[in-house]
Amino acid sequence: MRRALLIAVVAALLAPAAAAAHPLGDYSVNHLAEIGVSSDRVDVRYTLDRAEIASVPLRGQSDAEVLAGVEDEVADRLVLEADDRRVLLAVTGARLTRPPGRAGLPTTRAELTLRARVTDPSRVVLRDGTYRGRIGWKAIVAQPGEGTAVVADVPATDPTGGLRRYPADRLSSPADVRAATLRVEPGDGTLEARGSDAAPVASGDGRGGDPLTDAFSDAAAGKGALLLLLALAFGWGALHALSPGHGKAMVAAYLVGTRGTPRHAIALGGIVTVTHTAGVFALGAVALALSATVLPEDLLPWLELTSGLLVLGVGAAVLRRHLRHRSAHRHGHHHHHGHDHDHGHDHDPGHSHVPPERITSRGLLAMGAAAGLIPCPSALVVLLAAVAQGEIALGLAMIVAFSAGLAATLTGLGLAVVLAGRAIGRLPVPRGVVAALPALSAVAIVGVGCMLTLRAVPHVA
Amino acid sequence: MRARRLTAVALAFVAALAVFAATRGDGPAAAGPPTGLALDARPADSTAEEVRRLQAAVRRGEPREAELAAAYAQRARETGDPSFYARAEAVLGPNPAGAPALTEAAALAAARHDFRGALGLARRARAAAPDANAAFPVLVDALVELGRYDAAERTLQRMIGRHPDLGGYARISYLRELHGDLGGAAAAMARAVAAAGSARSFAADTNALLGELELRRGRETAAGRAFRLALAAVPGHPAASAAMARLAAATGRQDVAIARWRRLVARMPLPEYAIALGEAELAAGRSGAAERAFALVRAQEAILRDAGVDVDAELAVFEASHGSARRAVTLGRRAWASAPSVRSADALGWALTRAGRPETGLRWAHRALRLGWRDPLALHHAGFAALAAGERAEGERLLRAALRDGLAINPLLAAEAREALR
Repeated sequence: MRRALLIAVVAALLAPAAAAAHPLGDYSVNHLAEIGVSSDRVDVRYTLDRAEIASVPLRGQSDAEVLAGVEDEVADRLVLEADDRRVLLAVTGARLTRPPGRAGLPTTRAELTLRARVTDPSRVVLRDGTYRGRIGWKAIVAQPGEGTAVVADVPATDPTGGLRRYPADRLSSPADVRAATLRVEPGDGTLEARGSDAAPVASGDGRGGDPLTDAFSDAAAGKGALLLLLALAFGWGALHALSPGHGKAMVAAYLVGTRGTPRHAIALGGIVTVTHTAGVFALGAVALALSATVLPEDLLPWLELTSGLLVLGVGAAVLRRHLRHRSAHRHGHHHHHGHDHDHGHDHDPGHSHVPPERITSRGLLAMGAAAGLIPCPSALVVLLAAVAQGEIALGLAMIVAFSAGLAATLTGLGLAVVLAGRAIGRLPVPRGVVAALPALSAVAIVGVGCMLTLRAVPHVA
Repeated sequence: MRARRLTAVALAFVAALAVFAATRGDGPAAAGPPTGLALDARPADSTAEEVRRLQAAVRRGEPREAELAAAYAQRARETGDPSFYARAEAVLGPNPAGAPALTEAAALAAARHDFRGALGLARRARAAAPDANAAFPVLVDALVELGRYDAAERTLQRMIGRHPDLGGYARISYLRELHGDLGGAAAAMARAVAAAGSARSFAADTNALLGELELRRGRETAAGRAFRLALAAVPGHPAASAAMARLAAATGRQDVAIARWRRLVARMPLPEYAIALGEAELAAGRSGAAERAFALVRAQEAILRDAGVDVDAELAVFEASHGSARRAVTLGRRAWASAPSVRSADALGWALTRAGRPETGLRWAHRALRLGWRDPLALHHAGFAALAAGERAEGERLLRAALRDGLAINPLLAAEAREALR
């Protein structure tokens, strides 16, 4: 159930082209070499994108180990020749990310920047023999350099956006470009490239090509407004809290059950923000640390179980306390029964015949923790996507904003419930009903707790 | 390992290629461009060229979408790149109309193992063009996979009567094999090889299948020759590469077998191949390496589960042997529900046996073997079900049959069987 939700969320984030997985699975090893020839150097940016199944053998390898493997493959099989002499491509930068793909499985994305020293070459050839025999998108793209005029026999445009989305054009096959020849003359940074087939770029195989991930890169690059992004995260969190399973019912029931005040509602919201943020951070950290051996989605059921048990406990405590009060209350006010409608009008919350159960700070904390702890896959997706993009700080900020949005909705709801409760108190409602409300709420909390627990159990087992 | 499975999958592909042939013209074995000698020295892959030609034609507005879809499907099989299936489906569109497009859509559904969908589409294709032969192959395949063997045989008879060709021979071979007639199956496949003639990728498919049958009959030399012909026609042909690994195992060269499995899995980690590698590593006592191979299978299982299409009997057998027996039973039931074939019966039976219900498992095993099927793995499963159910004599008979009929391709299972017989 939770797993299905995670998938639904991921699917919603991703492009529609990521249709049902094919029985043949995701084996592709895709790579792209972008080459720019300047008068004194050749720059190559080598990007590798290993799909979910192709990433499985890399489980348990550290980022450094994976990068070392990529560097070895590139050193052996990516050959650069300037004027028919092989020149050494030195690695000047390397970055590894593991963006989540289908089924919560990580993919692998390596980006190497390479540089070779040359002096005014007239003919540069790049041969890409990496990952031979593996299916996938294999492309070489030419880029303008400095102080040169280049004529290339490969396209100058990359329809994949750096291997983030793959053209799904029904009338073209995946790129399979393994060599590029560039004729170079002194000039001022011009490039004449073979007209690319200009295949229309459909939004891709799902990974990385989603607007959210793009927003990360943009914001990190200073292109997008950071504030706008955070506002979006806040808004998304607020809206997201309205979808089922975010403890709205619990929070409302708790506040009703304990006769909470607006202060309690606000405190609860704050606690939810903190616990939700902490929960996502912790889950994200654990997921990243264990990504080699455990899938994040395997952790979700456990968190859900913990949360369910916590709610169950809180509900039971409220119910028990209420029943104790009620039995005392029953003794003291027994004569009221049967005359309820006569007394209805003089009810006001400050003067209730039903003694308010005290909200203990411990109970409030437990309730807020339970509401916040329920793992929210969307938030995890945001965090992992941010990490995948290497924008961890931004991801953390967005999670805080997201959680705050979530809490704002819950607080608003809580306030509404509290105020409505007071309003109801003023209405001529049969007091029996009013008196029973807290008990019903407690039962509702227990019910929600049971449901969460029961739902989590089969996934944990 | 899964020799049986390989044949079945390959046959689904033969369906596609027969359709391909049929939509290209009506001459006998009008498959592939006439390039002269079958195994001449030209290394270029003709299917890729065919794809380019048809892409250009469709761009020009010629109504050849069905042909292009068939060429894409063929390319998917040659390279193992599933994105070609997606392209084929995109070319056909969501509502294929006309016999060729419907036939092609049916073949794609069969390749996706949606056999009920394939059956419906193939019937519509035949209704759209009652005189055409093109829809018959996939119709037969769907009926076979849905366990309707009598109907499949009748349809196949009609198909052969109208137009004997490569696709027809390949299917005769498969049905004979399901009935335990390995010699007859090999003979029919040999005729399919002859009919494939000059078309490289058909030659590779049919030779790989022929070699598998020869291997099961204990004729290793003939098997090796067929596999090498397949690999010469299409270098790196996945099914033939896998078959070479099985051949090495069957002839006792376990290290060669493992090296071949590793190379194949490194380039194409199909569950079938990863399971075979893992079991070969287990037989060699390397449980860590086996676990790494099995991790590939589990990851693919996760993806299929998410897509809601984890209905393959193969996964049920894998879970039963190396995972959770309970989950295996669930998967087995799902496999049976989606394709009630002897293979699904075998998978469900094995899952039940491993889940501690050997009596029920044995009943399903009998169901799997009811046609006379002599698949070494199914026999192995049935044998252990019988032993666990207390039917010692039957169990020993079945295990001996498994060993006789080629269980040696899987040293792990062969060792288990020999141990149980001791």
